[in-house]
Amino acid sequence: MTDTNNVIAARRRSTEFRLVLMAGIITAGAYTLASLGQNSVIPPRILPFLAVLLLVLMSAHIGVRWLAHGADSTLLPVATLLNGIGYVMIARLSERLAGLQTTWTFVGVAAFIAVLFVIQRVNDLSRYKWTFFFIGAGLLLLPMVPGLGFSSGGARIWVSIGPINFQPGEFAKIALALFFAGYLADNRELIAAGTWKVGRFYLPEPRHLLPLLAAWGFSVVVMVGQKDLGSSLLFFTLFIVMVWVATEKTSFLVIGLGLFVAGATAAYFMFDHVQTRVAIWLDPWSRYQGKGYQIAQAMYALGSGGVSGTGLGLGDPTRIPEAKNDFIFAAIGEELGLFGATAILIAFLLMIGAGLRTAMRTTRPFEKLLAVGLTTILGIQAFIIIGGVIRVVPLTGITLPFVSYGGSSLVANYVLLALLIRVSDSSARRLGEIPDAATFGERFAARLAQRRVKRHPEELEAMS
Amino acid sequence: MNQRIRRFAVVLIVLYVILFAQLNFIQVGQKSTLDADARNTRQTVRDFNDPRGDIRTSDGIVMATSVRNTAGSEFDWQRTYPEGDLYSAITGYFTFGYGATQIEKVQNDVLAGRTVEQQIKGFRSLFNGQDTTGTVETTIDANIQQAAKDALGNREGSVVVIEPATGAVKAMWSWPTYDTNLVAVQDSKLAGDIFNYLDEVPGKPLLANAYQERYMPGSTFKVITTAAALDDGLITRESTWADESEFLPPQTTDPIQNYGNKVCGGDLPEVFRRSCNTPFARTAIELGPEKMVAATKKFGIGETIPFDLPHSASSQFGDVDYFTQNLPLLGIGGFGQGNTQMVPLHMAMVAASIAHGGVMMKPYVIGTTYDHDGGVLQRTVPTVWKTPMSPATSTLLTELMVGVVNEGTAKCCMHLANGIQAAAKTGTAQLNAAGEPERSHAWIIAFAPAEAPKYAIVVMLKGTTAEISEGTGGTLAGPVAKKVLDVALAQ
Repeated sequence: MTDTNNVIAARRRSTEFRLVLMAGIITAGAYTLASLGQNSVIPPRILPFLAVLLLVLMSAHIGVRWLAHGADSTLLPVATLLNGIGYVMIARLSERLAGLQTTWTFVGVAAFIAVLFVIQRVNDLSRYKWTFFFIGAGLLLLPMVPGLGFSSGGARIWVSIGPINFQPGEFAKIALALFFAGYLADNRELIAAGTWKVGRFYLPEPRHLLPLLAAWGFSVVVMVGQKDLGSSLLFFTLFIVMVWVATEKTSFLVIGLGLFVAGATAAYFMFDHVQTRVAIWLDPWSRYQGKGYQIAQAMYALGSGGVSGTGLGLGDPTRIPEAKNDFIFAAIGEELGLFGATAILIAFLLMIGAGLRTAMRTTRPFEKLLAVGLTTILGIQAFIIIGGVIRVVPLTGITLPFVSYGGSSLVANYVLLALLIRVSDSSARRLGEIPDAATFGERFAARLAQRRVKRHPEELEAMS
Repeated sequence: MNQRIRRFAVVLIVLYVILFAQLNFIQVGQKSTLDADARNTRQTVRDFNDPRGDIRTSDGIVMATSVRNTAGSEFDWQRTYPEGDLYSAITGYFTFGYGATQIEKVQNDVLAGRTVEQQIKGFRSLFNGQDTTGTVETTIDANIQQAAKDALGNREGSVVVIEPATGAVKAMWSWPTYDTNLVAVQDSKLAGDIFNYLDEVPGKPLLANAYQERYMPGSTFKVITTAAALDDGLITRESTWADESEFLPPQTTDPIQNYGNKVCGGDLPEVFRRSCNTPFARTAIELGPEKMVAATKKFGIGETIPFDLPHSASSQFGDVDYFTQNLPLLGIGGFGQGNTQMVPLHMAMVAASIAHGGVMMKPYVIGTTYDHDGGVLQRTVPTVWKTPMSPATSTLLTELMVGVVNEGTAKCCMHLANGIQAAAKTGTAQLNAAGEPERSHAWIIAFAPAEAPKYAIVVMLKGTTAEISEGTGGTLAGPVAKKVLDVALAQ
C-alpha cells in the first residue's frame, strides 16, 4: 500500500478533498437555486441528488488517494466543478437528459478510476504507440463505415453498435495524443536535426516525417469525410503544438501555420458548409431566419444575462438550439452572467495551468509530451467551442469538455483527466516527493517471481 | 522543451483573455443593443409569462389587469382591460411583439415587480412563491371619464379635465380610439393585422389625440393674448376699442375681419365676452413680436408638455423673426388663427392656470404606485411648471370668463347644475379658406366653481361642419363641457 505518512502527498490529498467538497457544495447550491428559480420549490429529489453527488465525488477522490496519491491537487476538483455546473444546466434544460448525464458521470468516474488502476506506469504506454496509432485511426474512420456510422446534425461522427451510440472521435483524440507523444519522444531529435539535404535546406528524413504527415492527413480526412470542422481543427492544433514543443523548431510552427492557412482556404472554397460557417460568424443577423438563428439566440441569451445573469432557472436558455450541448456556454452566460461565464474560463485556465505545470515538472520526454498533448486537447477544445459560441472564431460544433451533455465526451474527458493525473503522480515519484513504491502489478509480478524462484531455484541460477 | 511549454501557456492565456474581452463586449457593451433588437422576444416572453399588477383609477376601478390563462395556453397570463376602450389612451397597451405604450410602458418595472425596492422587499417571494408585482393608481376619476365619453359621443374630438391646484388629470378622452383588448391578444399575427387596420382608420385612433396632437385653438387663445397684454400693462380692464368690422394691419392690403364681418367693439369685458377679433389682433400687434412670443413661452408654448405619459406633443405659436416679417400673421395669431396650434391638454392647463392664481402645474396621470403588499413605492408630488401671469391678471381673466358664461358666447350652454358659476372661453378655429365649405374646430375652455375652482376642462370638437360664427364653439363644445362638469361637481 501507499505510504500514508508521506507529508507532501497527505497535504495534496487533503487540499484536493477540501476542494472537491467545495465543488460539491457549489453544485448542490446551484442545483437548489435552479429549482427555486424555475419552480419556486426546493428540488424534490435533493436527497438522492446529494447522495449521488457525494458518492461520485468521493469515489473519484478516494480513487486518486488510493492510486495516485502524489498527483496535483487541483485537476480533479476543477473537473468535477465543471461537470457539476454542466449537470445543473442540463438538468435545468431537460429532466430526461439529466438522468442520462448522471449515468454518464458514473461511467466517466468509473473509467477514471479504471484508467488509474490499469495504467500505473505511464511510461509503459510509449511502447504501445503504434497500437494507439491504429486505434486512433480506426476510431476516426469508424463513422465512415457503412452500416455502423451515421450522421446527426450535419456531421458524420456517430457510430452505432447494437444499442450503444457513441462518438469514437472523442476517444481517438486521446489515442492520437498518446501516439504523438510516443513517436515524438523517440524521434524528436532526428526530426529536429534534419539529415535529408534538399538543395540548400536540411529537412527531416521522409521516413521520420511520414507518420506525422499521416496523422495530419487523418485530420483532413475527418474534415472532408465527416464534415466535423471542430475536431479537424483540434487534431491539427494538437499536431502542430506537439511537434513544435518536441522539436523546439519554430520552423515547424511556421510550416504548420502555413499548412493550416492553406487547408482552411482550400476548405473555404471547396465546401459550402465552411463558407456558411464563416458567413454566419461575420454576420449572423442577416441570416437570422436560417443558419444564423442559433448564434443570434446565443447573443440574445448572453446579452440578457448581462453582468450578473438572470439567475439560475430564471433565464430562457431553451430558446437556444442545442443549448445542452455545443451551446451550453451561452446558457451559462445567460443565467450566471459575465461572472459565471468568466468563472468557467478561469476553471479551464486552472486546468490548463495544472496540465502544463505537470508537463514542465516531469523529466521524461514521453510524459512531458503526453501532458502537453492532453492539456492542448482540453484547452483548445474549450477555446474552439466557447470562441464559436461568442463569435471569436467561426462556429465548429464540438462539446465543451466536462460541461456539455454527452456520454462519449464525458467519459473520454475523464479518461484524459486520469492520464494527466497519472503523469502528475509519476513525476512526483521521480522527483522524490513521494516514495516510488511498487505498484500492484509490479508487486503481483514480484510475488509470482518469488514463488517461482522458491519452486524452481535452478532457473535463477541459470539466469545469473 | 520547457521553454516551449511556457510559451504555449502564454499563447493559451492570450486566447482566453480574448474570450474574456469578447464576453465583456457582448454582455456589457452590446447588452442594450441586443435587448432592444426587435427579433429578441426574450424579455417579452418573460413578461408575458409573469404576473403583472393592475392599473386602476383613483376611485378604485380596474383599468388593466392580468388574468391567469387556462392550462395549455401559449402564455401563463392574459392582459385584459375590463373597460374596453375607455382608458386605452391612458393605460396604453401591453402586447406580444408590438411592445407597450403609455402607462404599460413607463410603469413597466413597477407592474412587473422589477424596481429595486420591489426586488428587495420581494426576496421572501423566492420561498413562498408570492409575486412581487406592483399596482399603479392613476389620478383618473372613473365617473368623470365615463361622462366625458358619453358627452362627446361619436363626434371626433378630445376632452381633458384637470385639477387646477395640482395638475392631476381627472379625465382624458378622445374619439376615435380603440379597444385595448383587441391588440393585447396572444396571436401576434392577429394583433399585427389589427394594428395595420387601426393605422389606416381616419382620425388616428391609436394616437391619444388629447395630448399627442395639436389643433388650431381659435378664440380660446385670446386668454393668452389678454394675459400677455394685461401683465405688460398695455391694456387694463378699462381699455376700450372702437366699433369696427375689420382692421387693416401693417404690411398688407388684406384686412382682418370679425366673424361674419360684424361690427364689434367696447371695453375689455365686452370685446372678450363677444369674442371680437379685431381688438385682439390690434393688441397682439401693439405688443409686438418680442413681447407676444415671450408671453406664449411663459405659457410653455413651444415646449414638450412635461406629462408623465410618453410622446406628448408641444403647442406652437411662432418665432420673433417670422412675426417681424409678417405682422398681420401676429395679429391673426393673437386670436388663435393662422399658424397657432395648441394641444388640447395644454389648453386645459391654460384654463387651470387662470383658475389657480396664474400658476400652471405640471400635468400628471400617475398618482401613486404600490408594491404587492400595498406599501407606497412612489407618490407624485404636484409641482409648478410655469407662472404665466400675475395673480391680479388671473383674477381679472376669471371675471372676464365669468362674463362669457353669463352674457357672452357661452351663455347658451354653460349654466351648471345647482347654480354653480362656471368661467369659460369659447373658440371657433376656422379651417376653410374663403369660399370653401365651412369647417372649424369648436373649442371651449372652462373651470368651475369660478370662485373656488375645483376642475378645469377643455373640450375640442374636431373639424365640425356647422356654420361658423363667434358662437359656434360655445354652442357645440359648451354642452359637452357642462355635462362633464356637472358630473364632476356632483360628487
